[in-house]
Amino acid sequence: MRTWLVRLVLVGALGSMAFWAWSFLFPTPEHVIRKELAELARAASIGPNEAPLTKLAKTQKLMSFFTDDAEVTIEVPGHLTQTLSRHDDLQQAAMGARSLLNNLKVELLDVVITVGADKQSALADLTATATLPGEKIPEVQELHMSFKKADHSWLISRVETVKTLR
Amino acid sequence: MDAVKTIATENTEVRQAGWTRRVLIGRDPVRTLIRIVIWIVLIVLIRSYVLLPIRVEGVSMLPTYKENGINFVNCLAYVFHPPQRGDVVAIRYSGISVMLCKRIVGLPGETIAFRDGHVEINGRPLDESYVKRPCNWEQAPELIGPDEYYVVGDNRSMDFDQHTKGRAERIRIVGKVVL
Repeated sequence: MRTWLVRLVLVGALGSMAFWAWSFLFPTPEHVIRKELAELARAASIGPNEAPLTKLAKTQKLMSFFTDDAEVTIEVPGHLTQTLSRHDDLQQAAMGARSLLNNLKVELLDVVITVGADKQSALADLTATATLPGEKIPEVQELHMSFKKADHSWLISRVETVKTLR
Repeated sequence: MDAVKTIATENTEVRQAGWTRRVLIGRDPVRTLIRIVIWIVLIVLIRSYVLLPIRVEGVSMLPTYKENGINFVNCLAYVFHPPQRGDVVAIRYSGISVMLCKRIVGLPGETIAFRDGHVEINGRPLDESYVKRPCNWEQAPELIGPDEYYVVGDNRSMDFDQHTKGRAERIRIVGKVVL
């Protein structure tokens, strides 16, 4: 029984290692998009007392996740309704937010990715949380994102807010 | 005599070690390991699919649910019957990492309105014993869709616009808040 158990554990460990190696060498589109979204959250977060140069660098990093013709539609009833459809407008909005806020922690949770049949486009549904300093409860917003494949990465072509309660 | 004493002490130590080992890992370590694995799998399954632990944040469900209270969501509550009026439910966003905790006040096909701070269902005021604070909310009648439930928090002393409420699709209702 013990030999059988040891063999089973060994086979399991080897299988896990093979799976990990395969996903590391040949990542699926879902894996690449998830990784990019994690980087996007880091770029969208604002550290305490960021230097102007860091702000600019992080804004440019943030913009690198979007296509040139990306459209962002934000509709939060009672708070904000805005559509940004030009790269420059997006960059300006991002810079404006950075100059207004001193500290912001952004998290993208529960990411559900659907890759198109052509493997050139993908959709992602996710929950974004933004925590401001001194606030215990984060702002929560569900988002719907469209991605387009560009070389080895995926770029965001459209972002829209989702009404969780209608 | 000294040698006899030593052997006796050793025997007692061996017996004690055996007893401790039996209590901690059982007679058969392999069986104990299998039991532990089964228990862990069961706990993970129950925690993920049956009783979700949640921490209530925010003031929208005061005074029924206070901030930072720990609770559970019964994900199997609506397997055999649909959600009922008065149930406190968890509503998911894109997943279950963050959820809304609200009370169902309107059922599919009904018309809901707020008049002078009171909920009206199909034009009749709803008796809401759980609402303890005064309210002045006003909202025109709104039809609830066939697969929707109108949800709102118990704390109606908040500003109407500040309070998250509205029609939730059935698919978004994860389960009933247990306690």
